[in-house]
Amino acid sequence: MDQEKVNVGLYGFTGCNGDQLTIIHSEDSLLDFFNSANIKSFSLAKSDNDDSELDIALIEGSISNKEQAEHAKGIRERSKMLVAIGNCSCYGGIQAMGLGSKGWDQRFLKVYGEAFFKLRSPIESKPIDVFIPVDFYIPGCPIDADQFFYCFAHFLLGNTPTFPDYPVCAECRWRENDCLLLKDILCLGPLTASGCGARCPSNNLPCMGCWGPMKEANINAEFNLLKEKGFSVEEIKRRFRMHTGSGMMKAMKNILGVL
Amino acid sequence: MREIVVEPLSRVEGEGGITIQIDGKRIKDVCFNILEGTRLIETLVVGKTPVESVSIACRICAICTLSHRYAALRGLEKALGIEVPPKVHWMRTLMHLGECLESHSLHVYVLALPDFLGYPSAIAMADKYGKDVMKALALKKFANHIMEVTSGRMIHGENPTVGGFGRYPERDVLLDIKKQAIEMMDFAIHGVNLVAGLDFPSSFETDTLFMCCESYEENYCLVGDHIRISNSEVVEIEEYKKLTNENIVSHATAKHCVYNGKPYTVGAIARINNLGERLKNQSGKLYKKYWNDRWLKNPLFNNLAQAIEIVWALEQIPSVVDNILKIKEEPEIVQPTQKDGEGVGAVEAPRGTLYHHYRIRDGLIEDANFVIPTGQNLEDCEKYMRKAVEGLLNQDTDDETIRLQCEMIARAYDPCISCSTHMVKIEHKLACG
Repeated sequence: MDQEKVNVGLYGFTGCNGDQLTIIHSEDSLLDFFNSANIKSFSLAKSDNDDSELDIALIEGSISNKEQAEHAKGIRERSKMLVAIGNCSCYGGIQAMGLGSKGWDQRFLKVYGEAFFKLRSPIESKPIDVFIPVDFYIPGCPIDADQFFYCFAHFLLGNTPTFPDYPVCAECRWRENDCLLLKDILCLGPLTASGCGARCPSNNLPCMGCWGPMKEANINAEFNLLKEKGFSVEEIKRRFRMHTGSGMMKAMKNILGVL
Repeated sequence: MREIVVEPLSRVEGEGGITIQIDGKRIKDVCFNILEGTRLIETLVVGKTPVESVSIACRICAICTLSHRYAALRGLEKALGIEVPPKVHWMRTLMHLGECLESHSLHVYVLALPDFLGYPSAIAMADKYGKDVMKALALKKFANHIMEVTSGRMIHGENPTVGGFGRYPERDVLLDIKKQAIEMMDFAIHGVNLVAGLDFPSSFETDTLFMCCESYEENYCLVGDHIRISNSEVVEIEEYKKLTNENIVSHATAKHCVYNGKPYTVGAIARINNLGERLKNQSGKLYKKYWNDRWLKNPLFNNLAQAIEIVWALEQIPSVVDNILKIKEEPEIVQPTQKDGEGVGAVEAPRGTLYHHYRIRDGLIEDANFVIPTGQNLEDCEKYMRKAVEGLLNQDTDDETIRLQCEMIARAYDPCISCSTHMVKIEHKLACG
């Protein structure tokens, strides 16, 4: 352990582990990552983990039981800075796609019946900032390795990283793709924060919105455009909230009145 | 009475733990606790289009994302009356081999090996085993590259879609994959010898059943429409519920599976035990050199089985790439021929047989059921842990050794806890089929 280095902990709550795995998948940067800080906790990668004071806590996953909420509060109390990584942590992910909490009770019954879990008390999945203050958000499903290491380097230097304020469409243009909306395909590029490099449109497939909403997305305009193209209100709503859970729901509130 | 608790269980995907209760010299209970939060994915795909549901279902797990995608595509395409052309089949084979390589190299070298060599992590092994760690990471990087090239992203790529692919990779990129696969072979063989040299404890050895997918061709394979069981039974995948019999236990948010009231094992060890005779070339030689009847009784051999499958996967890649390139024309995405239907898809995820079952009405998912490998292995895993603890208690072993041996058994199954939790479901009246 090095006194000069900052203390970092990585934690995973409910999700697919894709954000921590994106870090492990960064073979060229992985050893540097472990050398650049004291990695105090990263249970996906190592077994000598501890619950000490942290300079930076990185949290993946949504909160889906009371025990996780308590654990998250504990991490917050011993961390100077807390960063949500990935869509589940930032927005609740697909498991918080806004199907309604009454619906959740019924859906739980459908999957587990009257099961009783002695070790955990399940609740509907929510993003972590419902339970604890979050200092910075790195979105994506999963996060992009380059964007993550860009942010992490800033954190190590005590700086706050910034993301460009444009949608997937900008990155899509740079890759000289044909616009899928012009081909009447339901693409969420105009609403979705950039950072992925317009991966899906570059494969001739529509953006599914997995980076969460862009800050100043013009939801009304996209909604009206899709309606004009003949998509049903049901279809548009379903696609809007599929990946971005609570994020898009918040942004959609303005137009929900008119739906 | 005393309790040994491991929580969280590290170096596995997802949130799990082990509780061992001991009364004097007698074991009271051993539980592999699945603590991962519930996501209710099977209910999230209901009311979605097939393409949307594939985008949701692959996110069950980041390690086996392409196996989930592949199983979903096979089930959905049966339901929609879609038959994909050969180029699509070979592209899917390549992506699936890439994932098998990625997952196995992660598990064998990064997650499991540190236990056997006495380290907390693969990173900590770097001083003494630097060369092997770097080569293992290079192999994993290559595997991730295959996943990125075929699926559009290392994790949750959307390129493999219902009816085909959005885009096909460039010829040069595929030829480079072929070249690298050949170059990686020496290290993969070295890896098998390295793992074969480890000391696998034997005190808990006992018989069990093994299940895996089998295709109609007589090859070693990772997909198929029927299941081969080690007692020589062969069952169509449509009858998967008869094989898996999911049930709920209070210490796990994943369901346990039994066949005819008995636990069974899926995964690389099941595939090699059931189909190993079909391995040819280098993987065939290694199988003949290292396989013995302890493999039928000891789950730790799953580590060696995965190391051999790494060699097998690398052997397959050159001809699969050739098969993709042989077909010059890039097929359009095949459209559904029907709006209503039902289908079961099964593939071998790196850690065992994965079933996706869909019923579609008027173009939207009406019901879905998924059965995943880790849930199928939980009963057997607990059986072996119990046997190990019994043996160690008779030898007056300390708690630390008991803890480590249980962790090694749990880890050998390569559990994928995210998967296991989100896939479970009790038998209910509306269930498919």
